[in-house]
Amino acid sequence: MAEIPFPLPDLGEGLIEATVLEWLVAEGDQVERNQPLVEVETAKSALELPSPQAGRVLKVYGAPGEVIPVGDPLIVFEVPDDAAGIVGTVPADGAPTRRVRLSANLDDD
Amino acid sequence: MAEAMAPATRELSLQQALNLALSELLAEDPKVLVFGEDVGALGGVFRVTDGLAAKHGSERVFDTPLAESSILGLAIGLAMAGFRPVPEVQFDGFAYPAMSQIVTQLGRMHYRSRGALRMPVTLRVPSFGGIRAPENHGESLEAVFAHVPGLKVACPADPQQAYTLLKAAVRSDDPVIFMEPKSRYWQKGAVVTESADWAGARVARVGRHLTLVAWGAMVARCLQVAELATEDGVDVEVVDLRWLKPIDTESLAASVGKTRRAVVVHEAPLTAGLGAEVAQRITERCFGTLRAPVERVTGFDVPYPSGDLEDEYIPSIDRILFGIQRVLEYRRG
Amino acid sequence: MAMTTGRHTGAAAHHTVEGTDPGLNVVTAVPESPAALPPVLLIHGFASSVELNWDKSGWIQALLEAGRRVIAVDLPGHGASSAPEDVDSYTPSRIRADLLQIASDAGARPIADGHPDSGLDVVGYSLGSRLAWEFGATQPSLVRRLVLGGPSSRDPLAEFDLVAAQRFLADGTPIEDPSTATLVSMAQASPGSDMYALLSLVEGVKEEPYDPGEAVPRQPVLMVAGERDERVATIERLRELVPHAEVLILPGRTHVNAVTARAFKHAAIEFLAQS
Repeated sequence: MAEIPFPLPDLGEGLIEATVLEWLVAEGDQVERNQPLVEVETAKSALELPSPQAGRVLKVYGAPGEVIPVGDPLIVFEVPDDAAGIVGTVPADGAPTRRVRLSANLDDD
Repeated sequence: MAEAMAPATRELSLQQALNLALSELLAEDPKVLVFGEDVGALGGVFRVTDGLAAKHGSERVFDTPLAESSILGLAIGLAMAGFRPVPEVQFDGFAYPAMSQIVTQLGRMHYRSRGALRMPVTLRVPSFGGIRAPENHGESLEAVFAHVPGLKVACPADPQQAYTLLKAAVRSDDPVIFMEPKSRYWQKGAVVTESADWAGARVARVGRHLTLVAWGAMVARCLQVAELATEDGVDVEVVDLRWLKPIDTESLAASVGKTRRAVVVHEAPLTAGLGAEVAQRITERCFGTLRAPVERVTGFDVPYPSGDLEDEYIPSIDRILFGIQRVLEYRRG
Repeated sequence: MAMTTGRHTGAAAHHTVEGTDPGLNVVTAVPESPAALPPVLLIHGFASSVELNWDKSGWIQALLEAGRRVIAVDLPGHGASSAPEDVDSYTPSRIRADLLQIASDAGARPIADGHPDSGLDVVGYSLGSRLAWEFGATQPSLVRRLVLGGPSSRDPLAEFDLVAAQRFLADGTPIEDPSTATLVSMAQASPGSDMYALLSLVEGVKEEPYDPGEAVPRQPVLMVAGERDERVATIERLRELVPHAEVLILPGRTHVNAVTARAFKHAAIEFLAQS
């Protein structure tokens, strides 16, 4: 298993921190990509952060009311070692199959 | 630490083999720097740099902005200042924005400075298709890179080659484009650390009747084809080219001189692909003994297709078998 | 998220009110498995936008998961809508007329017996709740249910000191009225806000100040506000006008951060799923 940390992302508009309002997932939960993780409030608005990936939630940082600076740890995911990257899928490694057969006269070799 | 006591052989996935090689390179040479998009805190989208920032420091393994031209510019400047940079562009298609730096600076600096400035840069490029990725995430750029004077191009096929070739690439004082076959990242295999066999091509399977030449993910597919061909009484040799520039013409000539038949397989489009270069080199050296023109089995002259369509694009086992059959059937008119 | 312009597969109908195109940005979204319920019109608050009030806050995704078609509109001078020069484009009556046209173009149809997906449900927040209140009251044949978030019986914009705001923007003279100062700093904090368009909206609102008693919605109403929303006390005045309304107070939440609350979304989705 690999641990993948996800720090509080840059929320744009020069914001440097966000306050945790409510966690929508708990440690141990299996989450899917784009599933809402947490409600946070910035100086400008409140928003839900979608999960950047699928995985099991290993750890969450910040109780409701706590302020997290951009770039500080927000959540840690645990994913299987052979999980795909953020793009694409792991190719299946099945037994090779064929339809074409070779025919050759190799006697003169 | 653990690496010094490690056994000489271990079972690693291709991504783990690259990770181990990078970690050892960082440990052996303080001038080695690893950087790119998400390679630091995240550990790379394919986990290749996992844990390296924590182990070797975030000033030596670090994240860059999403700006490939700047990543290459940074690498070139660091190389001029005496560092040994190992930058990454996250996907093959993202090499395009960096092309000006790669062609006009990286490939030429040694020449332009009349030998005063070396470019010991290894650019890691997760390459080729096979993982159902969207557009710009499945390009096969070896012919583009190989055409640029001053660059070397390396392409490992399995965990052992990944480990060995990456070490050789980073230790080289010349710029190397290191094309990692992303569909093989999860493939496991035995890795002998500090294997000295890094130069030139390698014979991945010995055979008598026909030589398949391939690189990257196509080597594993050609090995499968070779096993299937034995059922039909055809004994296929598989040559893993490993270095796409410079090409090891001697090894090609030695193999095809013996088998007298050759098929080149690559994922890239046919026209002006590296298969033409390989075929010509074989022809120049083996014209007298060749039983048939060198056959090419390749991708098509279309943009790399997304999703399931890639199965129709990447040379399949059957298409490679057809290519072999065409060569076997060939009779001089 | 599948984006379309309505229930029809052809090109979207596009009509204007009184011959002028307000240039409002309309976002429509269609769920993968539609419920037999009317579309939901979302009206955001002052100095907010569809993106901030409804998308990044998770509302659109939550509604889609509940099988609801969504029609969301950026108010004039907000989000990706245009910011006309004339104040008339910003008056609440003009905005309501544009919303009616947009909802109709997006496929909303008057309530009809035996057609559970007829009609229109409306969710507003803050200024959007004022507009939703009036919209519901004046469109009883179209609007089926109303959710009013962060509502107020008084209109903070009506008491806005426009001259002080303009002076502040011109030369930095401090604004004395605290409510005006808060609204100006909210507007300045709003990403990409067009301050002069926002002031035009304030002017338009001042021309037509909010009087909830003037037109009272007869539909089922749910009112939701944060416990720490400074306007929460005025909900009682609204409830005198709509005694049938349900009320949900969100513990610990303010006017700004009540928007994302799961309890708010769940209550609204449950309320709007009733027939």
